[in-house]
Amino acid sequence: MKDPYAVLGVGQNASDEEIKKAYRELARKYHPDNYANNPLADLAEEKMKEINEAYDAINKMRSGTYRGGQSASYQGGYQQQYSGGAGDPSFSRVRTLINGGNLQQAEDLLQGMPQKNGEWYFLSGSIAYRKGWLDEAAQNFRIAVQMEPNNMEYRQALNMMQAGGQAYRPYGYAGTTDAMDCCTTMLCLNCLCGGGHC
Amino acid sequence: MYGYVRPVREELKGKDFDLYRATYCGLCRCMRRRCGMFAPLFLNFDFTFLALLLWEPEEKFTPCSGRCYANPLVKKSMCPDSPALELAAEESMVLTWWKLRDGIQDESFWKGMLLRGASMGIKGEYRRAAASCLEFDRSTREQLERLDRLEKEGCPSMDRTADAFAALLQAAAPKTGEVVRDRAMEQLLYHLGRWIYLIDARDDLEEDLAAGRYNPIAARFGAEVDDQALKQTMDHSINLACSAFQLMEFGCRSAVLENILYLGIPLVQRAVFDGSWKAIKKQKIWRNHP
Repeated sequence: MKDPYAVLGVGQNASDEEIKKAYRELARKYHPDNYANNPLADLAEEKMKEINEAYDAINKMRSGTYRGGQSASYQGGYQQQYSGGAGDPSFSRVRTLINGGNLQQAEDLLQGMPQKNGEWYFLSGSIAYRKGWLDEAAQNFRIAVQMEPNNMEYRQALNMMQAGGQAYRPYGYAGTTDAMDCCTTMLCLNCLCGGGHC
Repeated sequence: MYGYVRPVREELKGKDFDLYRATYCGLCRCMRRRCGMFAPLFLNFDFTFLALLLWEPEEKFTPCSGRCYANPLVKKSMCPDSPALELAAEESMVLTWWKLRDGIQDESFWKGMLLRGASMGIKGEYRRAAASCLEFDRSTREQLERLDRLEKEGCPSMDRTADAFAALLQAAAPKTGEVVRDRAMEQLLYHLGRWIYLIDARDDLEEDLAAGRYNPIAARFGAEVDDQALKQTMDHSINLACSAFQLMEFGCRSAVLENILYLGIPLVQRAVFDGSWKAIKKQKIWRNHP
């Protein structure tokens, strides 16, 4: 196992407070919410596990007893799993292929289907999303929602696209562009190029 | 590439600014040494970013002093040659070459002749560069051909055309065998490439429409471009690139890379959308720096 202090990026002599702070910042960084539907969600989950274990290990070492109840618990299966689809068995096969990362085969199977319903568009969108084709993904999810407006799965997918994804922002970078008014933007643009007088 | 990937200078700490500039100057020197005297003409910010990304995270920042290529009377602090700089230098030469070759076919006779002349002038530079990154040379050629085909067909999906350029950039980071790093780097470069392709297309939109040229954004949206939808999908790419970035280690280069990803790129995007980009893109980041 890796040195738990190195995992949290603190020295061996760090105070409990510093360790807690480092742990919290890392937990914020790799929080499942930041990687929901992200193709790298499993890697973030691994990191989270590593951080939790390191934090627990340090606590254990320092207190001399293992306080299981204190174990940080940001775990959970948050990788998007395409599990629905009670109807057509071909669709559940496509879902299995997508979950396994077998996008080409999933796409071929979908293309061979005669009838295109909401689920067909939803799965097409999911494949596009996995490939990084975000615009086509959004278009397909939109059609799926139009065809079956009551399906929550499709709606969630479309909402996720409309929010433009989500990502952790380090301290100091929070809410930069969207929170800025026009003048601030112009100021910053000036900075971007060193301005004319600094 | 096109210089869209740059830091916001005012938000950089002094030491990070020094690191950025020394990397830029080091890349210039490395291009000259490895590829030839004309190579530094094609120096740009995007490949400086690539060099910073590819650097070994454990390696400390140890600049040396060297003569500036543009002004030999001045000595500047620059990073000495390193594998990351060499790779970025070679890849930038390879991409420049293939883009020139690509341009020869697309432009009018006289402009084509001009490009042909230019490409002949840097053939030696290209050959030296390509000899050390054969795989990137092959994939760049392939992807640009694919892009050319799609553009000639008038492909209505901007994802498909962007995919060619994104895949090209993705190939710029050789595999290390370390699963986390390789997968994260792939996603980062893919979405960065997608973003560069789209921002460039948005930047050229009016010009392309006036000239009746193919433009992936016009092909996707028609005459009325939905800037909101375009911005959304580009923000999404930035987010996917940033989340990939967080899964890797960059050591002392983290701060400047974060500045570029979290501040520089969103600001350039805003400038391109509101039309102020054309006026500022030509300025150098360190223009008035002593």
